[in-house]
Amino acid sequence: MLRKPLLLALMVAGCSKGPQADLQYIEQARSLGAEWALVNEQASQGKLTKTYVSSMHEWLRDQLQSSATSLTQPNSRYGEEIRALLQQPDDALPEQLRVHSNALKQIEDQLESA
Amino acid sequence: MNPLELTLGIMTAVGGFVDISELVFAAKAGSQFGYALIWVFAFSTIGIIVFSEMSGRVAAVAKQPVFNLMRHRLGLKLGLITLAASIVSNLITCAAELGGVSLILNYLTGAPYMLMAIVMTAALIASIWVLPFKWIERVYGLLGLFMIIFAAALIAIHPPWDKIAGGFVPQIPHGLSTKELLVFAYFVVAIISAVMFPYEVYFYSSGGIEEEWGLKDLLTNRITSIVGMGLGSLLGIAILSSSAQLFGPANVSPEIPGTAALEAAIPFGKWGLIVALLGMFFAVAGAAVETCLANAYSIAQFFGWIWGRHKKPWEAPRFTLTWVALFLLALAIVLTGVDVMVLVEFAILFSILVLPLTYLPLLLLSGDRKYMGQYVNGSTAKTLGWLYFGVITLAAIAALPLYFLTSGGNG
Repeated sequence: MLRKPLLLALMVAGCSKGPQADLQYIEQARSLGAEWALVNEQASQGKLTKTYVSSMHEWLRDQLQSSATSLTQPNSRYGEEIRALLQQPDDALPEQLRVHSNALKQIEDQLESA
Repeated sequence: MNPLELTLGIMTAVGGFVDISELVFAAKAGSQFGYALIWVFAFSTIGIIVFSEMSGRVAAVAKQPVFNLMRHRLGLKLGLITLAASIVSNLITCAAELGGVSLILNYLTGAPYMLMAIVMTAALIASIWVLPFKWIERVYGLLGLFMIIFAAALIAIHPPWDKIAGGFVPQIPHGLSTKELLVFAYFVVAIISAVMFPYEVYFYSSGGIEEEWGLKDLLTNRITSIVGMGLGSLLGIAILSSSAQLFGPANVSPEIPGTAALEAAIPFGKWGLIVALLGMFFAVAGAAVETCLANAYSIAQFFGWIWGRHKKPWEAPRFTLTWVALFLLALAIVLTGVDVMVLVEFAILFSILVLPLTYLPLLLLSGDRKYMGQYVNGSTAKTLGWLYFGVITLAAIAALPLYFLTSGGNG
């Protein structure tokens, strides 16, 4: 009896497009932006090694790029925010990175409550 | 019972408890749901203690490793299916650990990730080849004790201890949307799977045979399982709690394993970061060795080959070739460039599907007086064993739908 709704839900989860389908990438990008800000904040206080910081920058950028390319609507507002994050230099100010991360969080909250 | 051996055994169990999956899911669980998933860690730890003690007892009394039992108890057809599923599950888990350890080496040295994967594979193969069994376990387990820095870091950030204590009470947070409830349920399943990985029991019971456990070792087995794994689990809970305190409010839901090391860097600075990365390195490298050997043990035991690291590599040639080939296969998976986090998710998913088939024959044999005599399961082991078997069966049924509905816990 539960098989049909479950299959339908799985199909919807697997095939949907648009902001709802992009939600997981928005969440990923929001977290990556916040992780980047945290790394730069701690690095500015001298708490991290240079090697760790540069490796983290590389991986964070790589994952952000992957989130950006996975979007079904890259020209959306959230697509712009992710691109803006990608355009930041490695040693961007934490506050600057948090602006974009927070903007993504707002979009994420709106989509979740929709 | 030799007190030194017992202490070393406990310390090895503590240092070797956390692997890449627990590290990733503990950090993510804390940032997304605060302290509300601590009870799942505690609950699953009791489960792995119950089954590890059982598998150690069976190894000591009946001299039977887990996969021998499987073939006899499940029959050839179901036994083969279980073997195939566990090979896939252990191989993906091994690849996730190998990818994880290469990443950590990249954070420590800055050397390219792919190169580190090749170097680590060679180093791990060499370490298994050269070290006696007892020292394979101990070297990684004892050096994995650097992970204690995560417990120290939690104390240093003055967390809300009342909330952490409250997290041990089974709960579902109030006010979650349907989607969040599904993600919460996915995390419950994932943590059960990560803590109760089947390879741990394959490795533990085969280790008992390697070390020729007998009746005199039953108490050591029980204490090591309870104290070692219990304390090891506290490290996972410390990672989760620091994440709830530091990452959740900062909108961080760790997307790369290296972020977890910040938990030690924030209170202790550079040396905290380095100790945390070293602890992660040895704990994850140890898990890579265990998953690979567990896989080779399973295959050799199922087909009745000569096996064991207590023998010279050329005295058990098929076993030796198998574990070397499995490491190379895991390396090949890592070299495809697949993301470590994706490997971790698949490892969790495949493992939970294999868990019921792993633990059922063990439960049956340890409860069989014909094999176990007076060392058969007591009422506590029997009750807990069947309770956990029910839980992991439910988790296995729910795992796939939850994975798809939540995009692997990503919402």
